[in-house]
Amino acid sequence: MKHHLLPVSAKTVHWGYFSKVVAPALTLKSGDRATIETLTHHANDDYERMIEGDPGAESVFKWTREHKAVARRGSGPTEGPFIRGSGEGVGVHLLTGPVAIEGAEPGDVLEVRILDVRPRPACKACHAGKCFGSNVAANWGFHYHDLIEEPKPREVVTIFELDTSGEPFARAVYNYVWTPQTDPDGIVHPTIDYPGVGVDHATVARRENVLSKVRVPARLHFGTMGLAPSEQDFVSSIPPGYTGGNIDDWRVGKGAKMFYPVAVPGALFSVGDPHAAQGDSELGGTAIETSLTGDFEFILHKHRDLGGTQLEGLTHPMLETSDAWSVYGFTYPNYLAELGANAQLEIANHSSLDRAMRDAFRKMRRFLMTVHKLSEDEAISLMSVGADFGVTQVVDANWGVHGTIRKNVFRCD
Amino acid sequence: MRLRPFTSESYSEGDRPEAWRDVLASVGLQPTAATSTHAGHAIAMRRSFQGVTLARLSAGPQSVSPRIDAAADHPLALLPLEDGVALKTAAGYQIVAARHLLLLPRDGDWSVSFQREMRAVVLSVTSEPAHRHRATSQGGAVRVLQPGGFGSVFAQMMEVAAQDLDALSDVEWTALARSLADLLPTFMPQHSETASDRGGGASKAATLHRLCQTVERSLDDPDLTPVKIASAEGISERYLQKLFEGAGTSFTHYLRERRLQRTSADLSNPAEAHRSISEIAFSVGFNDSAHFSRAFRQRFGLSPREFRQHEAERQTASAATEQRGWPQQALAQLCSGRAALVRKTAAPFNAHDPESADAPRHHHLAADAARVHWGYFSHSLPPQIEIGSGDTITIETLTQHASDDPERMIKGDPGAESVFHWTRDRKNVDRRGAGPLDASIYGRGAGEGFGVHICTGPVAVKDAEPGDVLEIRILDIVPRASRSPEFEGRVFGSSVAAWWGYHYKEFLAEQNAHEAVTIYEIVDDADAPYARALYSYRWEPQTDPFGTLHKTYDYPGIPIPPSSVRRRHDVLDGIRIPLRPHFGVIALAPREAELVDSVPPAYFGGNLDNWRLGKGATIYLPVSVPGALLSVGDPHAAQGDGELGGTAIECSMTGTFQVILHKKNELTNQPFADLTYPLIETEADWVLMGFSHPNYLAEFGAKGQSEVYATSSLDLAMKDAFRKMRRFLMNIKGLTEDEAIALMSVAVDFGVTQVVDGNWGVHAILSKRVFDHAPQN
Repeated sequence: MKHHLLPVSAKTVHWGYFSKVVAPALTLKSGDRATIETLTHHANDDYERMIEGDPGAESVFKWTREHKAVARRGSGPTEGPFIRGSGEGVGVHLLTGPVAIEGAEPGDVLEVRILDVRPRPACKACHAGKCFGSNVAANWGFHYHDLIEEPKPREVVTIFELDTSGEPFARAVYNYVWTPQTDPDGIVHPTIDYPGVGVDHATVARRENVLSKVRVPARLHFGTMGLAPSEQDFVSSIPPGYTGGNIDDWRVGKGAKMFYPVAVPGALFSVGDPHAAQGDSELGGTAIETSLTGDFEFILHKHRDLGGTQLEGLTHPMLETSDAWSVYGFTYPNYLAELGANAQLEIANHSSLDRAMRDAFRKMRRFLMTVHKLSEDEAISLMSVGADFGVTQVVDANWGVHGTIRKNVFRCD
Repeated sequence: MRLRPFTSESYSEGDRPEAWRDVLASVGLQPTAATSTHAGHAIAMRRSFQGVTLARLSAGPQSVSPRIDAAADHPLALLPLEDGVALKTAAGYQIVAARHLLLLPRDGDWSVSFQREMRAVVLSVTSEPAHRHRATSQGGAVRVLQPGGFGSVFAQMMEVAAQDLDALSDVEWTALARSLADLLPTFMPQHSETASDRGGGASKAATLHRLCQTVERSLDDPDLTPVKIASAEGISERYLQKLFEGAGTSFTHYLRERRLQRTSADLSNPAEAHRSISEIAFSVGFNDSAHFSRAFRQRFGLSPREFRQHEAERQTASAATEQRGWPQQALAQLCSGRAALVRKTAAPFNAHDPESADAPRHHHLAADAARVHWGYFSHSLPPQIEIGSGDTITIETLTQHASDDPERMIKGDPGAESVFHWTRDRKNVDRRGAGPLDASIYGRGAGEGFGVHICTGPVAVKDAEPGDVLEIRILDIVPRASRSPEFEGRVFGSSVAAWWGYHYKEFLAEQNAHEAVTIYEIVDDADAPYARALYSYRWEPQTDPFGTLHKTYDYPGIPIPPSSVRRRHDVLDGIRIPLRPHFGVIALAPREAELVDSVPPAYFGGNLDNWRLGKGATIYLPVSVPGALLSVGDPHAAQGDGELGGTAIECSMTGTFQVILHKKNELTNQPFADLTYPLIETEADWVLMGFSHPNYLAEFGAKGQSEVYATSSLDLAMKDAFRKMRRFLMNIKGLTEDEAIALMSVAVDFGVTQVVDGNWGVHAILSKRVFDHAPQN
């Protein structure tokens, strides 16, 4: 067993997409561990608190008229002229990796254990040691066309500070309404349509004393973790799918084990979209987006060894925690295969919890029948009386419902 | 081009009038001066494109007038759905029937009153340069287009488009909006063809309309003559005849046509099945059977008897059992009030002793046939007992699934035996469901199983009035042990994977659709109590004691003889279900309808099926009728979020509750102020209940009890849960909208409550811990 370190820099990230053609940032063996740094793509909502003085973050976010350290952001076109910028923001998450696992082949399953998760403190002197995050009630949020106060619509950024002195919690520092921002290439962003655009704080009005009575219990986790899909070379990081990705389940934190079906040789694992806290549904479009560092352990389960284990027949991401299993249902379980060439954009027109619930039901039924050897009637009775279905997210185009079954149900007599 | 949905559920009560005013203004309307702005439940769906706005409005009774707008010179097109409206102009009142299109000048002096419910489609076209036709309707008259011809085509186009506003793509909507704007000027006054409709024409039409209504009311008079009608309306017979001639008919012809239409409607209505043909004929003024038969055959091509049989067969064939609740085609019965409640004698109740008004008392409500109502809620039920605010009450409840294994769950238990007693000669609780007592829709049995839960109650709360909030604390829940000698002291429950389950339409390939009943035993393990499966069986067609065959589990409480099914043991081996004892149904009587199906939950509570409603939890419900009328039932030993297969572990239990009444004027600053939905409080959390249709009874009107099953969706329920939580955070916790949305995104958990109760549910959970701390420095 070897312990690797994967620091975050412009060289170790890919921004807004999963890809089977990106060269691995790290290659390791099954059983190895790695400490991986991740950055939130919302760090530029408050440069001073979340980027300034942090060499890793500065290297990734560096963007002047002459030099844009990470040019491609999203799976869209990389040849101009651009409407929003290279990659066109079709996918937004800063992902560290990919990590290649030696010997991984399509059909295998990769187990990723999260051993620890730590926040990444600010570096600028006046904030040194403190940890900050940003929450955006954005144009892709569930609320956006259903606002009751003026001006409508509007996007609102709330900056949070994470307090880890005791039981960790977050509290709001200030918020502001997004105003059109001009990026260093001269493109104006009237809404939050491209990641990493620096917010000129002279153009926004800060409102202090927001959520002043509120402490948000921390739930440190990674919103986006997954493997490269096989269908296309560049795949937007926004819709989650059969190889994981932007699942946005806050239970994917310390102590969790995630299982992903391997779709391409080497598996190509990437992680990002770190969150300090999120509610089930991620209603406004984002969590408290906070740069985090995780310790991971990787275990490769070869295809031939899956029979008779809980991974038998697994074709979708699955979570195991100390007391439960969760399966993830989506509007389209494999939207890339189901929606054809334009799937990455088309999926946003089909978002529905109803289809996601249907998918979660089917996946849970399959899990109970294949792994726990129940008949269909037994599986349905057990689901009705012992399985819980919840809303994972309604903001990532491919909406999610998770089905959870507690392990103590299976305690033998 | 975006959709603009609106629901009053987003707003606190005080903010509703203004919000509704904004909605009306967006389609050129305003509340009629001197009437109050509607403040009740309202929803609207609007979509606009370059000055064209199409809206579908659904709200309570109210009166609207034009909002004077200089920039707009096209008339408004208003299409009342479902119910007619009263149109008031300078010329007086005129009743306009449903689905007659009104063209209303924006500068006119008119008002349109919706007497019962406002359900209408409104098209507003303001003259932007984009529209080629410049209208010149200033000063134009109010017009009511008679059905038929181009007016009907246009009206139907409006209606269908309004119905599907949210399904249209931007391109499709744009094209549609353009067409509507192009077509509207076609109706502008062109003197030659509309002259008769204007001026005196309007009052003529109004008189004729009134005459027709009088005829309608007097059909049963076999000697109805033009003279009678004319003198009743204060006009000459000659003028009456002239009016009918003007409408292209004659009085005699009109009268006969109306009589024949009424008989054909009655003959095809299952609710009228108990009346003979001659009774029906007589009731509309045909006093000669032979004459009636001849006329009927001439008109409809079949004799009345043949016609009736034909209709009955057609309805049986189309009676889909795929949907629970009232089928669409039978709703007429619900509207006609034929399903009216048979009042039962209330058990004498312990009148609240005024002497000891301050001392809380304890009451006990046992479950037996006289103290339960099965499958429905009703504001007309006499209370079993009246209690005071602060009193505690122990309520025994029975699961309607006890009959799945009568030996274990009914035998030897006097209460259960009394409720479930059903032999060839006697059925102690006849009505089960909100359907017709004569089972004339499907023939399943009295009440038709439109609602299935055995509810104990109702319990009246002294001084409770609409607008108050009732707090119900669940102090304790104790399972009801078997009294059967063989199983004495043990606790059993049943779970049915039923035809209304979420799984039912997609069994894996090799299986036919079937229903499965699993009997569980509740084990009071010292460590942690749990349930384990004893055996299961597939539903076999069952003949109930009255001889009716039930191919599926379509009627509650049918006793299952063990010999009629094949029990399979070794099910769910080694599996222990952790218990979550709770009551699936806690309801206050709804105000809208006389008889309400117990299956779909809504603002009044009801079949919430949220397992968090267990011991230690409190539920707050808005009071809709005097006395509140609390009913409890549907006890569950365990259930998962989703209740996927259709039921929980249904297990009879006894609950002890403390009931506290909060008067309307004492709600300020309480977390349950501004309550129009069920609110659950547990030790750690606030749980808000969202539904596909938060008040389906008001939203769909008469069609509600059918429509709610047809149009349920988690997407709608999620929207409702979001709006409720936003309102709670803004109005109760004092946050701004931006704060509320940020907090919901990072700290509120949304989950699936159930997908099997018609009105699907999503709940929103807010941890109280979030607000535990004083403001930070």
